[in-house]
Amino acid sequence: MARDKEKRSCGQVLAEWRAFLWDPRTRQFLGRTGTSWGLILLFYLVFYGFLAGLFALTMWVMLQSVDPHVPKYQDRLLTPGLMIRPRAEGLDVTFNVSQSHTWLPYVQALHQFLEPYNDSLQAARNAPCVPGRYNEQPDDAVPNYPKRACRFNRSALGACSGLGHAGADWDYGYGSGRPCVLVKVNRVINFFPGRNKSINVICMAKVNYTQPVVAVRFSNASANVEHHIECRLQAEGLRTDDDRDKFAGRVAFRLRINRD
Amino acid sequence: MEALTKKKKKTVPTSANSFFLLQKSEVYSVEIYGTKELEKTEAGGGDEKYKDIKGKKKKKAEELKKELDLEDHKLSASELEGKYGTNINKGLSSARAAELLARDGLNSLTPPKATPEIVKFLKQMVGGFSILLWVGAVFSWISSGIQIAQGADSPFDNLYLGVVLALVVILTGIFAYYQEAKSTNIMASFSKMVPQQALVIRDGEKKELPAEQLVVGDIVEIKGGDRIPADIRLIAAQGCKVDNSSLTGESEPQPRSCEFTHDNPLETRNIAFYSTTCVEGTATGVVINTGDRTVIGRIASLASGVGNEKTPIAIEIEHFVYLVAGVAVSIGVLFFIISVSMRYKILDSIIFLIGIIVANVPEGLLATVTVSLSLTAKRMAKKNCLVKNLEAVETLGSTSIICSDKTGTLTQNRMTVAHLWFDNQIYSADTSEDQTTQPFDQSSPTWTALSKIVALCNRAEFRPGQEGIPIMKRVVVGDASETALLKFSEVLLGDVMSIRAQNKKVAEIPFNSTNKFQLSIHETDDANDKCYLLVMKGAPERILERCSTIMINGKEEPLDSEKAEAFQTAYMELGGMGERVLGFCHLYLPENEFPDTYSFDTDAMNFPTSNLCFVGLLSMIDPPRSTVPDAVSKCRSAGIKVIMVTGDHPITAKAIARSVGIISATSETVEDIAKRLNIPVERVNRREATAAVVNGMELKDMSLQELDEILCNHSEIVFARTSPQQKLIIVEGCQRQGAVVAVTGDGVNDSPALKKADIGIAMGIAGSDAAKNAADMVLLDDNFASIVTGVEEGRLIFDNLKKTIAYTLTKNIAELCPFLIYIIASIPLPIGTITILFIDLGTDIIPSVALAYEKAESDIMNRRPRNKQKDRLVNQQLAVYSYLQIGIMQSVGAFVTYFTVYAEQGFLPLTLLGVRVDWENSAINDFEDSYGQQWTKYQRTYLQWTGYTAFFVSITIQQVADLIIRKTRRNSIFQQGLFRNKVIWVGIFSQIGIALILTYGLGHVTALNFTPLRFQYWFVAVPFAVLIWVYDEVRKLLIRRYPGSWWDKNMYY
Repeated sequence: MARDKEKRSCGQVLAEWRAFLWDPRTRQFLGRTGTSWGLILLFYLVFYGFLAGLFALTMWVMLQSVDPHVPKYQDRLLTPGLMIRPRAEGLDVTFNVSQSHTWLPYVQALHQFLEPYNDSLQAARNAPCVPGRYNEQPDDAVPNYPKRACRFNRSALGACSGLGHAGADWDYGYGSGRPCVLVKVNRVINFFPGRNKSINVICMAKVNYTQPVVAVRFSNASANVEHHIECRLQAEGLRTDDDRDKFAGRVAFRLRINRD
Repeated sequence: MEALTKKKKKTVPTSANSFFLLQKSEVYSVEIYGTKELEKTEAGGGDEKYKDIKGKKKKKAEELKKELDLEDHKLSASELEGKYGTNINKGLSSARAAELLARDGLNSLTPPKATPEIVKFLKQMVGGFSILLWVGAVFSWISSGIQIAQGADSPFDNLYLGVVLALVVILTGIFAYYQEAKSTNIMASFSKMVPQQALVIRDGEKKELPAEQLVVGDIVEIKGGDRIPADIRLIAAQGCKVDNSSLTGESEPQPRSCEFTHDNPLETRNIAFYSTTCVEGTATGVVINTGDRTVIGRIASLASGVGNEKTPIAIEIEHFVYLVAGVAVSIGVLFFIISVSMRYKILDSIIFLIGIIVANVPEGLLATVTVSLSLTAKRMAKKNCLVKNLEAVETLGSTSIICSDKTGTLTQNRMTVAHLWFDNQIYSADTSEDQTTQPFDQSSPTWTALSKIVALCNRAEFRPGQEGIPIMKRVVVGDASETALLKFSEVLLGDVMSIRAQNKKVAEIPFNSTNKFQLSIHETDDANDKCYLLVMKGAPERILERCSTIMINGKEEPLDSEKAEAFQTAYMELGGMGERVLGFCHLYLPENEFPDTYSFDTDAMNFPTSNLCFVGLLSMIDPPRSTVPDAVSKCRSAGIKVIMVTGDHPITAKAIARSVGIISATSETVEDIAKRLNIPVERVNRREATAAVVNGMELKDMSLQELDEILCNHSEIVFARTSPQQKLIIVEGCQRQGAVVAVTGDGVNDSPALKKADIGIAMGIAGSDAAKNAADMVLLDDNFASIVTGVEEGRLIFDNLKKTIAYTLTKNIAELCPFLIYIIASIPLPIGTITILFIDLGTDIIPSVALAYEKAESDIMNRRPRNKQKDRLVNQQLAVYSYLQIGIMQSVGAFVTYFTVYAEQGFLPLTLLGVRVDWENSAINDFEDSYGQQWTKYQRTYLQWTGYTAFFVSITIQQVADLIIRKTRRNSIFQQGLFRNKVIWVGIFSQIGIALILTYGLGHVTALNFTPLRFQYWFVAVPFAVLIWVYDEVRKLLIRRYPGSWWDKNMYY
């Protein structure tokens, strides 16, 4: 009761706390003796050990039921996302032609990105495909490794491949004010767009899969003006108009080429 | 009355002192509702206030003392006329009265100052967890402000969260306020009374006016049955008697006349006090004080200064709030530091802090507690206990001492004939509430004679028009003894009124204190017998003095010393039982001396009043209610000490105490032992006596230590002849023993004790408004047995609140763990803040209220009252078991569901570790999962919401198991019965129903962060729910098997 509390002085309260912390009379630490602490710790050790085991067991059982190659549900990925390279901050590709330090990072990023697309690597890892057909590699009950995806040679990008030497297309056109932007489709396993018509993004294998990319070259974009560009996937049965997801099957970015 | 005078003079300073003591504690215990209050912490400020009150109190007491020195009783009528500018015959003029009314205000007591509604409301807004939530809301707004300034993508999320948190606080506040207001309103409607009328002479005319309109100087007329409308100096009176019990506690009517008999205004006969009742006679008087300036008004205003003690449940809830708030704040701060040292941004760390606070605070709990308490209050109201203050519901349960009034509470509050003595033999009469016949032998002709005297020598009459009503319930005009005799003879003889009509009264001398007898002379109903019958009743010894013969078996026999001895023995025996004894005698007046034309003159006494024939004795008592002995024994087995505190005579008090079991049959007082061993009282070993009867006179001279000793050493105590001030001292003494004290009372004078008590119980029927105002509870039927029902309900709700809190606290860990793991392991957030609120204020509410309907596990009336210091509502075991065992199990179950949902969508558990920064980066729209698939930001967010929903569903499913295990703390669920409490099932279905609606109904409203969930995920946590049930059954089994073991000590909450 309130009036009891008043009577206790500060020192008494302190002494009470000290006694609670360590009571030499009963040899109690925080209200428990050594044996009592030992027992309670042992109990919790066993208890949590059991819970941890149970957790591990249920997780293991759950993981057994999960296919290592294809996720169980893909309902969230009905429309693959679209992204551009170089991945500029806020999807805003802005640079000044005459100041190389404004666009050199883009060029380097593209070089890095296109590394796995080098023709030699593609030839070693992937197989050529027939255009206009899905490249399927069914397991037919026996897992066949390694799977081979369709070749996508860097050279196919032409002027945007960045394969030329300095002065040529080495800089993906950034130095000359005709920049390349690569548009890529997010990878989704077992995604069959367009029902074997029009554009085909066929991807079955895992290991050495390189995403197909589309290079867009802005040959005569007017300088010092901000351009708003939107790319969309166009395929039958593909919705690209989700209000909430601005990256489902489409990508919008800004491009500004400054010239002095 | 003598005692009271001394008391008054003496106790004014001491009572002022004790009031000031109370006041002191009031400064520190601001009245709260299950919440912690904002204390004025600065010692200096508190001290000042304390001094201030001290000063004010002293002044008030001085004032009371001073104003009690009324001089009006010493003045003559003409002096009075001069003083008040009035005329005894014509009264005041209307104009003058209006003037005075404007000056002095209405003649009514100012009701105790109520806390302004807005203050009450604001208290609800800042009390308890609200502060924590406000902090959370403010943090949310700050961080959203920063985010807006930084131009982040979704700055409004935190803004909304802040608004939601504020809304939660405001809504729960409004709810609590509404609940409280509702229970207060019950009282308000209850205390409203029919306005009183007064007969006033104004402008020379008699007028009926509302008593409120009276002013000083008004001439009022009062008659038997009226309530005195103001303090009045009488100027004319005829046989006027007043019942001053509302002022002094003594119910013996006191005569009032216009003579000045005593210096003390409280003692003198020519003043009648406001709110007392005129029992009989008529009187005219001048109003000398009105409203709060009346004596009663001053006592009442002093009582309103006595601070309320904090209720035990308020202390418990405060303790619980501190505990949870402590956990919340320390975990919050700890993880704030951890997250800052893990190089999280300060802004992020603040957002984590909000999440931790929200997860830790059981937002819905206080509302749940309020509902549970008001459900119990409703149940108690049905059993005639009206609870004014919700928390008082539980206080009754922890009560360890009941200081009970005698009159009306333990007894029926009406005199009833208990014993008869005639033919040298004592007969017992039936004293039960609904008697219709009397069992004793009525064949003796002496009885016929006696019954005739009883019926005729009686001035009491039934109010007309009550033929259909049982005799014992009929309203009678007359004093208590005469009423008892009237009803007694009505039961035995039938229509008393017609008997009286047949035996026409020709002369009468009413009872007065000098004669101590009442006499009347009647014609006989035998038409042939022309002689008159003289009947007389009165104090037995006075009656016997006037008798020379005694009737034995219908024959008059001379009254020799042997017969006188028999009379004495019977008289002593009946008196020793605490009964009021009356003697009855009669005489047939010889026809030759008193022919039917004889004119009797009561002043000249021209008839014989001696040498009468003694017929018998009748003794009366206010008998105990028939339900009380059982209730007292229930209290005893429940470890509650029942102390009787009464203004009555010790012998009467002791007799009633014995008959209801307050003093049990085997125990003795010091005096009893002395009498048995035939030794002086001083030589008795006081330790041997378990019972004690303490006289108010003794109490007055006792030191506090002596009183403590008595309260400590005797288990059965009766305080007799106590004044209201002493009642307060007794209550304080009990509280010094650490007891939770319940006090019953009805008079205005009881209100300080009622306020001081941990729970004041006022009588609904007999209680005065002041008592009802001061009390926490009102007994609608004035019955002690109802208190016992209340105790039972109070204990049950304490147990059930424990269960409710245990249930609610458990899931807080399951809400908290996600945040902690999110911070440490950087996984996508498993459950959102809004989702947590939907559990706390959605799915969990009805189940936790349902636990209030749970039946007791064992006989709760067979254990001792809880120890305030040791038996806490939320003890260490409860917190540890809920937080560290069941709570952790729930978390594990929920996490399994969470990982399952993510894994089946492509994110295997190991992939999730450490992804937080990229996961939440909205510029990354090709985030790779374990299969190399790439996710846009929105796709990830949607998956995160699905995770929230899965986590939410898992907690809900496991809370069903939690709800079931919380039904009992010791017994197996199967002993308690799974289906006995139907409301639990309502709770379970509501829980699942709300979850279904949120998931599938509102799954498309993105703001709520719910998504439709695949059906199988509802069952992932089911094994864990089963595990919780099984584990708890094992826990209870071990507790039952090994009482007192290590397991019992650590696992029983």
